[in-house]
Amino acid sequence: MIGGRGSLKLALDSVRSNKARSGLTMFGVIIGVVAVVTVVGLGQGVQRQIEAQTNQYGSNLITVRPGRTTASKGLQGLANTDLLFGLNSLNGLSTQDLHAVQTAPGVSVVAPLGIVSGTAQATSGPTQANLPNALVLATNQDLPAALSHSLASGGFFKSNDNTANVAVLGKKAAEALFEQDAPLGNSFSFRGQTFVVVGVFDDFAATPLAGTADFNNAIFIPLGTAEQLTQNQTLFYSILAKPDKTGVQPAVRAITNNMQAVRAGAQDFSVLDQRQNLAASSHVLTLLGGLVTAVASVALIVGGVGIMNIMLVSVTERMHEIGVRKAIGATNRQILTQFTLEAAVLSGLGGILGVLASLAVAGLLRVYTSYHPVIAWKAMIVATLASFAVGLIFGVAPAMKASREDPVEALRRE
Amino acid sequence: MSIIRLEHVSRLYGFGDATAVALDDVSLEIEPGEFVAVMGPSGSGKSTLMNILGLLDRPTHGTYQLHDRAVARLRANQRAKVRRDMVGFVFQSFNLLPRLRVIENVALPLAYKGLLPGRRQKKAADMLERVGLGDRAFYFPSQLSGGQTQRAAIARALVNNPKIIIADEPTGNLDSAGSLLVMELLAEIHRSGNTILFVTHNPELTRYATRVVYMHDGAIVHDEQTALGEVAATARKVLYTLPVQTEDHDLAGISTLMKHVPSKSDVKPEPKAKSKAKTTKTTPKTKKRAPRKAKK
Repeated sequence: MIGGRGSLKLALDSVRSNKARSGLTMFGVIIGVVAVVTVVGLGQGVQRQIEAQTNQYGSNLITVRPGRTTASKGLQGLANTDLLFGLNSLNGLSTQDLHAVQTAPGVSVVAPLGIVSGTAQATSGPTQANLPNALVLATNQDLPAALSHSLASGGFFKSNDNTANVAVLGKKAAEALFEQDAPLGNSFSFRGQTFVVVGVFDDFAATPLAGTADFNNAIFIPLGTAEQLTQNQTLFYSILAKPDKTGVQPAVRAITNNMQAVRAGAQDFSVLDQRQNLAASSHVLTLLGGLVTAVASVALIVGGVGIMNIMLVSVTERMHEIGVRKAIGATNRQILTQFTLEAAVLSGLGGILGVLASLAVAGLLRVYTSYHPVIAWKAMIVATLASFAVGLIFGVAPAMKASREDPVEALRRE
Repeated sequence: MSIIRLEHVSRLYGFGDATAVALDDVSLEIEPGEFVAVMGPSGSGKSTLMNILGLLDRPTHGTYQLHDRAVARLRANQRAKVRRDMVGFVFQSFNLLPRLRVIENVALPLAYKGLLPGRRQKKAADMLERVGLGDRAFYFPSQLSGGQTQRAAIARALVNNPKIIIADEPTGNLDSAGSLLVMELLAEIHRSGNTILFVTHNPELTRYATRVVYMHDGAIVHDEQTALGEVAATARKVLYTLPVQTEDHDLAGISTLMKHVPSKSDVKPEPKAKSKAKTTKTTPKTKKRAPRKAKK
């Protein structure tokens, strides 16, 4: 065996002496590693954000959604599940459902969430800003309690405001409409009516993978007012509930029973506690992650083939060198080690560069999107080792070719 | 005790009708401390002989004992180790690895032997000092002159204390000054007790040799001891007084003319190595056919 440090230096020299080619060869491996590390980091980041929200809204929050969503449905579940509150445009829950939830025993607080479409236009304040397709949500006085969320300024509408033209804004919506944090008393028009701002919510933690349901952008109006605007056509994409002291599970069962009664036994809705909510989203994330990891593995393998290809070229080009090395006493094994190591160094370096690039990608995602990818150390180490292994595996064949070359023949080549 | 003992060694290429004989039943014994010049026209099997003596190649038939060890039938890896420990190669085209510094090139055989970097460095530096390149250790081969490069290559050949040094036309790519430096270095190495074999086309260089072997068509046709410092008696004759009369010349009708040419070159050969190389290049055809005529 040639000394470990010596052959490593040789391999590095060889990579360095042909920078452009080495770089291009490593590209496949770099892409594969970036893909794997970024996806794993994103997945873990989203998971962490969802967990944080779960805690923010309270672990006893119960979510009623239209459609059957279970954690075990996998990809089909993905199709009709929004990750957090089940924003679902196909069907919705009706006021009867709301009533069923409200009358279920063991339930203390119930707040529906229904979308009312339209454009909001500020009618006071510094600009007459308008928000086309504003996220206007119809709800009731119980929402702050259901979300365990407080207001930054003003107050939420009370039960006797049910048909009043008042609104509570998310923080971003307030800034967009009135360019101020606490535009209390300012007004905006929506579907021909003028609404007065009575409160602004505290900042909600970012909602990953559910941009449309970002409460920071939302305008909350009383349910009764919304019903008048839509001629009682409001559908809820979600009903939030909190149990009383009897606990979450009895409340879930009671809600389920009541809902089934209303719907004549049909099981086209889901009652999820936060744990299930989390399980559903983490299942989807796991599936997504697995899928992308599979694709990335293919990229790694393709990168490996690229390395094999370039090593074959390199062996042919350096035939004379191989002859010289053999003439001065290199055994077949030493030549094999040299070239295999070179391939492994090439792709291992690709792996390390890939990890660095994925750090950069994670940084960019943090700055420019609401995602907060985690620095996935495990994935980075595994990806680097995997790319090193890919180099070893795909480097062996060219190295074998090099090591078996007849020294006289090899010396004759120039 | 001879250091090299070849018995009935043949090297064939190809099969059946297409068989080519590169070495034809060669037997050769070389004693330790000999400085052997191998001469002969291109294609006469000099390089094949060198490759077999240096264990780069295996004989098809025959036995080879190097330093009392039978090495003709060794497998590739064992031959590599014998090469590493007992043979030093010097090539016409130097064959230093261009991407390694001079000292790294010299240390390479030590690396293959498994020495630790510190000792490699030290031994290689000593060896470079010995060939007079101590101040060029960290240059790259491309930054050296031809003579310097070949001396570095000789340092590499010597670094493992080989039993024999095999130099295939070590001065073939050098000008006369470079040739002189390299041959003086080899002579010095010889004086310190090494056994050296070298191939040359230049009869002048037989001055350095203690023995001259002439090859033709894969066989050794002449073998003579020669005094150090003198050009071997047959060296000039072989290259410069061979009959040049050939069928080609007859066909051209100039054979009578050509007959008179050789007598001219009884004069001492040209002093410049370069012009000699030219001469040898233009003569192989003539030389090849010569012995056949001689037999008749």
